[in-house]
This record gives sequence, structure tokens and C-alpha cells, in this order.
Amino acid sequence: MKRGLVVLDPDEVPTEEWAERVGGLQSRLADERVDLALVYGDVFASDDIAYLTNLCIYWNEGVLAVPADGEPVFLTKLSPRVHPWMRRVSTVSRIESGRQFGALAAKLAEGREAGTVGLVDAPLWPEPVVAELRAALPGWELRELPGLVRERRAVPSPAEVALLRTAARVVGEAADTAAGAVLGTQDRVATVERIVRGAGFLDVQVNTADATDGAECVQVTGQYRTLWVHASRIAGGAGTDWAGTLQDALDRAVAAARPGATGADLAAAAGPALDRLPAGTDAQVTWVGQTDLASAGEYRPATADTPLAAGAAVAVTVDALLPGGGYAALADTVLVTADGPERLTAAGSAADGEAATPAASGHDTTSTNGAARPDGRSAQ
Amino acid sequence: MTSAPSRTPGTASRAPALDPADAAERALRHQKVRDAMAEEGLDALIAFAPGWRRENVRYFTDARLTGTASFVLFPASGSASAEVCAFSTRRADLPALRAAGWVDHAAVLDAHDPSALTEPLRDLRPRRVGVAHLELLPGLLAEALRRALPDAELVSASALMDRVRMVKSDWELARMRRSAAVCAAGWQAFVDVLEPGLPEYRIVAEVEAEIKRLGAEDNFMLIASGGDEVRGMTAPTPRSLEAGDMVRTELTPQMDGYWLQICRSAVVGPPSDGQRRSFDLFNESVEAGMAATRPGVTAHDVAKAQNDVFRKYGYGEYCTSKYTRVRGHGHGLHLDETPIIEGNETVLPENAVFIIHPNTYTPLAGYHVLGDPVRVTKDGPEVLIATERKLFHSDKGSSAGRAGAAGAPAGAAEEPGTPSGKESAA
Repeated sequence: MKRGLVVLDPDEVPTEEWAERVGGLQSRLADERVDLALVYGDVFASDDIAYLTNLCIYWNEGVLAVPADGEPVFLTKLSPRVHPWMRRVSTVSRIESGRQFGALAAKLAEGREAGTVGLVDAPLWPEPVVAELRAALPGWELRELPGLVRERRAVPSPAEVALLRTAARVVGEAADTAAGAVLGTQDRVATVERIVRGAGFLDVQVNTADATDGAECVQVTGQYRTLWVHASRIAGGAGTDWAGTLQDALDRAVAAARPGATGADLAAAAGPALDRLPAGTDAQVTWVGQTDLASAGEYRPATADTPLAAGAAVAVTVDALLPGGGYAALADTVLVTADGPERLTAAGSAADGEAATPAASGHDTTSTNGAARPDGRSAQ
Repeated sequence: MTSAPSRTPGTASRAPALDPADAAERALRHQKVRDAMAEEGLDALIAFAPGWRRENVRYFTDARLTGTASFVLFPASGSASAEVCAFSTRRADLPALRAAGWVDHAAVLDAHDPSALTEPLRDLRPRRVGVAHLELLPGLLAEALRRALPDAELVSASALMDRVRMVKSDWELARMRRSAAVCAAGWQAFVDVLEPGLPEYRIVAEVEAEIKRLGAEDNFMLIASGGDEVRGMTAPTPRSLEAGDMVRTELTPQMDGYWLQICRSAVVGPPSDGQRRSFDLFNESVEAGMAATRPGVTAHDVAKAQNDVFRKYGYGEYCTSKYTRVRGHGHGLHLDETPIIEGNETVLPENAVFIIHPNTYTPLAGYHVLGDPVRVTKDGPEVLIATERKLFHSDKGSSAGRAGAAGAPAGAAEEPGTPSGKESAA
């Protein structure tokens, strides 16, 4: 659940980049002859809205209205009491609160000539919300749009890559620390929470699962600013054959994560290792773009032939339902570069950075607005 | 994105027999749901859980699921052929479903081809299907349900499930008491770390670590620090605490599926007169809400009792929509169940659980947060947390703290002040 730090720092993402993100969408709207795009988000999945504005929907639902020309407006069920905070941490100046999106949209449409409203990623909208908007906007054409914003997020900008590297070091270190020590399950989760939230993450999801042979799977997914990273480790499984085999499979899959490679290619690369897993194991190789990590890619089409884009950041996972009912997963977040995959959450990556995380080192550094920077660099 | 299909179907069947207490609880739930379905003429019920509203799926599965979308298919008939089936878009959820053992069948669901759900649903040949959280069901999945059942009526079963879940069984109350213990520990961790210079988000990190160490599955938490200017709470900011700040929080851990909330405010250093008077006002309001709590009263009654205290002292405007109207809310498998608000005529039955919190802004000390979760009993409210209701303060980093460092533990110091008198709050 989103209860971490929300920061808008021009030293991290330049002001002009935020404008470019909205401008890019508006160009597409012009191409599509759409007058007003609506982007839906809730507390579980609101990354398109965050990408465009840095808004955080920490509870309930929201809709970002992006006109083909003009400033975005945020429609939300959150109380007006939080508008000052939302304005402070986002690029949005106009926020409208209410109990029904239909009424908010109708208010927004007042004085405008009826035109075309485009619903971004329409199949993922709650159907009743769409019906409500349709009823509230007589005379307007409601049209489904594909994932225009998510498409733009697929290849991170240089500023985002810098943030991803920072985030990945923290998550990788947290997963390694939690899995590396002799700890109980709850202590592993606590360790991750302290490191990741203490480093200024917005969100962290820690899941554990019993594997077999006393081993335990620790999965960490963290959101830093508007970006997500993921790493999974196996605790207490170092001496088991299957854990080593699973690691070999992940290493092979990651090595295959080059521009143009497909999911099938990653699976083929891992195949020789997966074949060595115990009989009865149900193993698979998956990759999920960081753009979809909030929902683990579960609303993305499950195709095996989608190519990895150069410059994309993806989480590569090898997971297995083990004989006897256990579950285990190994995963790293990888930057897909022309020179080959860069494993952002790999073991030791924290040590390769300029400094350890503040949570780990005991030191705190601050950015222009006082936020901790996990990589220890200064915004001054 | 899936790169290769699983080698074997992602299914799981039910684990060995349940513990007798769990089996009895499951049977009770099935009966309650079937009774409610009969009243509404439902042939089948589908509990849908998006990532942020899993309470109804949890009610049927008693499993902590993590999938982006999960479902339970629950037939009206209790015949052997009408199994209770659970589905998740995340295959890592299958072992959890199997371990809990509350459903007859579990399978992975492909959101773009949800035939694992729609085929057994179609086999039931229902004419009227209730969908809990239909209001949140993505069009992608709603369309699949309609394609599967072109002649059936799909209606919302969200309110039905809210009603069914409102009265807590002894089994549930035992779990909520464990949540209460974690609430208290979380608040203690909160107070223990308060000191000048600490950023808000680091407080959250420490609280999260402590309650997770104690077994919390999740937590919802709002926070605010500062003085009289604070109008509400949000996610944490990078703001660093200063001496004299009041630090407010709603802290809502989830244990074994059940959410429970504690609301408290603490001062960094000695409280000011305004902060003391504010506490007195809010405490009197909480007490009034509790005095009004008994089986058969409405949510409106409990809210009005709290608001009347504010009105009595001339602070009534701060109970309006311009500030904060909600005077509490129900708890259970969802953290924000029945709202305690004037105008809500929902009757509170025995063994309903909710928090009484008149949290709002006043000019006395800015936004103040105070509240306790209670169970409705024939004898009045049973307060579920042991944490004292007082204005906490921390002495760490303050001159008072330095003076008392030799004898007193850091943080969580007792509130030493004499109550300033309720009349002065006006």
C-alpha cells in the first residue's frame, strides 16, 4: 500500500521532462483526433497518472483528464483537504474532488464544445465508471484508446534510468540482506521494510513463500518515485540442488535479455537448466516491464513473441511450483542495452555504487526538498 | 509478460481437512452468504478482488492473495457438485490457497482468457449472479462474464457482502484482538522514534519494520507533523520533526486478514496549552461516541454524539465537509467499512467492530487525531486496544528529555500535565 515518500525534485526529473511527457501524449491525441484523454488509476495501479504528473493516489481512485491542448486536471475521490499536498508534490495545479467521476467530468466539460473523449487503456477501467462517464457526457463520443501512456513509459529517460539504478541498488541490497541472514520469515520482511522505506521509497511489497527443504522465497517489489524494480531471492536454499539450478536458469535467461529477444528466447535459454529441476516441477520464465510491475504484468497480454525493446527495464523471473506444493522464484531487474543486459539488482551492486544506502550506512543525505537520496548523492 | 507456458496446469485442489474451528467458521460463512443470496434471489455469487479490495475473496478463502485480480465462485446450492472455486492471476497464490484449504478448487486465471472462471460459472446455469465489487470490475473481465452468461442478470453483491461481514464471529474477534496488539506495538514504535530532525518517512519505515516483525501482513498509515497549521494527513513527507510539533497518525495494521486502527497524536517535547486543550476536546468527543455505542443504534447516532461535543464548545463547523465529516468507520477484512457519519442510518449490530475517531482540524492545535477501535456489546463498547488514550509526547532531543535522560526511558513519556479543563476548549 502506498504510504511512503512522495517527492517532486527537479534535480531528479527536470521540469521540462514533465512537460514533454504530457506533450507527447497530447501529440498522440491530436493524431487520434481526440479532444480529451482520461487516464484511470487507483491505489493499486496508478502509474500512468504518476508518470504524467507525479501524483500519488494513496487511497481510493482518480482520473487524470488531459486535454489535447492545455493543462491536465485531476479528478479524484480524495478529500479537498489533501489538495495542497497534491499540488506540492505534483505538476498539476487544478484538482477537483467529488464522490462521482461522472459529476466531476460533467463539471470539467462545462463550457466546452462536445467532442471526443478517449479512455486510455479502456479495457482496464471499471466498467461502471465508464458507464457513469457516458451518462454524464451527453453529446460526447467516448472512444477506447490503447495504452498510450504505458507505451511511452516503456523505455525510461536518462533521468529515469538514474533513478532506476538507485532504486535497484536498494531493492537488491534489501533482498540480499533479508535472504542472506539467518532470520525468521517476519524478520526478513521487517528487514526489507526498514531498508527500502527508510531509503525513501513510495511503496514496497514483500512476499514470502515456503519453497521446500526449509528454503524460503523472498520477493521484493519497490516503487521509487514513479519507477518500479523487483528482485527475488531464495533464503536457506543455497545447499539445495534445485535452488542452484533455478539460479542457473535465471542467469541464462538474463544473459539472453538483449534488444529484440522475446520471452520465448529467454525461456529457451533457460531451458537446459529448467530441465534439470526435479520431476513434477512446474517452472516458467517470465519478464515484466518495470511499467507493469505494480500488477506483475498480469493485465498484459501473455504473448511469448513480444520483443524486448532496447533501453527497456524489465524484471526477469524464473519461478517454480515445486513438487509437494512449495513455491520459489528468483528474479532481477535488468536494463536491456545494446551492449547486453545490465543486471540492476544483482548481488553486490550496492557495493559498486558511490555509497551504501542511508539505511544501511546510518548516514542520511538530503535533496533540495529534504528527501533522502539512497545513493548518497547531493542535489545541491 | 509470460514467455513460456507452464508445463503443467496451474491448479491446486483442497488441502487436507480443516481444523475444526476453521471448518465451523467456514460453514458459518457459507450459511450467512447463502441466506443473503436467497433473500436477493441469487443463483451464484462471484467475489471479485482488485489489488486494493480483497476482503470478499479473503472471506471465502482465508488466504493472503497477492494477485492483481482474484475471484471466488460461490454457488447458491451446497450440493457436492457445486464446488467453491478460487482463481488468481498470480500463480504464486496457489500454494497459499491450498495451504488455507477453504476452497474446493483453485486455479490460475488469465485476465485475457478467464475461461477457468467462466466455464464453471456457465455450468451452473445461473439466471441471476451477484458480483461483489462489480463497481470495480474492469471492462475486460465484465465483458467475459457477459459473454459466458448472455441471458443471465449480473447485479452488484457488494452491499450484500458488506452486510454479511459486519457481524464478527468469535473466531474473527480472536483475530482482531491480535491485530489490536499489533496496533499498540506499532504506536509504541511510533512514539519511540520521535525526535527533532527525523523525517516523517523514516518514522513510517520504523513502524512498518516493527509491525511486520510482529507478523502484520500490511498496513495503512497516514501521518502529519507540525503545528497549528496542519489541516490533514497524507502519505509521509520529507519534513523533519521540530521541537513542539504534534505528530499525528492513523495506523492500521492487517493481521491474519483483519485490519484494525489506532489513532493518536504525540508531541515532540512538552505539549503546549493549546495541544492539551485540543486533546481534552477530542477525548471528550471519543467518550461521547462510546457512550452512544450499543446494539441497535445507528452510525448516525454515534457520529452525532461525537459532533455534539464539538458543537457544545463552538467547534461545530470543524465537523462539516469543509474539514472532516467522518467520525469513524467499520473494521474487518476491509479497513474502511461502514462509515460513522451523520446521515448514515446503518444500524450497528452486536459484535460489529468500528473505530470511533473524531479526527479533524480545529484552531486549538491544528489537525488532531484520536480514536479507539471498539466492539459493540450489549453492555456498551468494548475497547479493543490497550494503549492509553492520552496526549503522548517524546522527550528525545528536547531539554526535558536531556534533563530526564538519567531516569526515564527515551520516548513514550507519560503525559505529565494536568487536564486543562474542558470548558477552556471553547
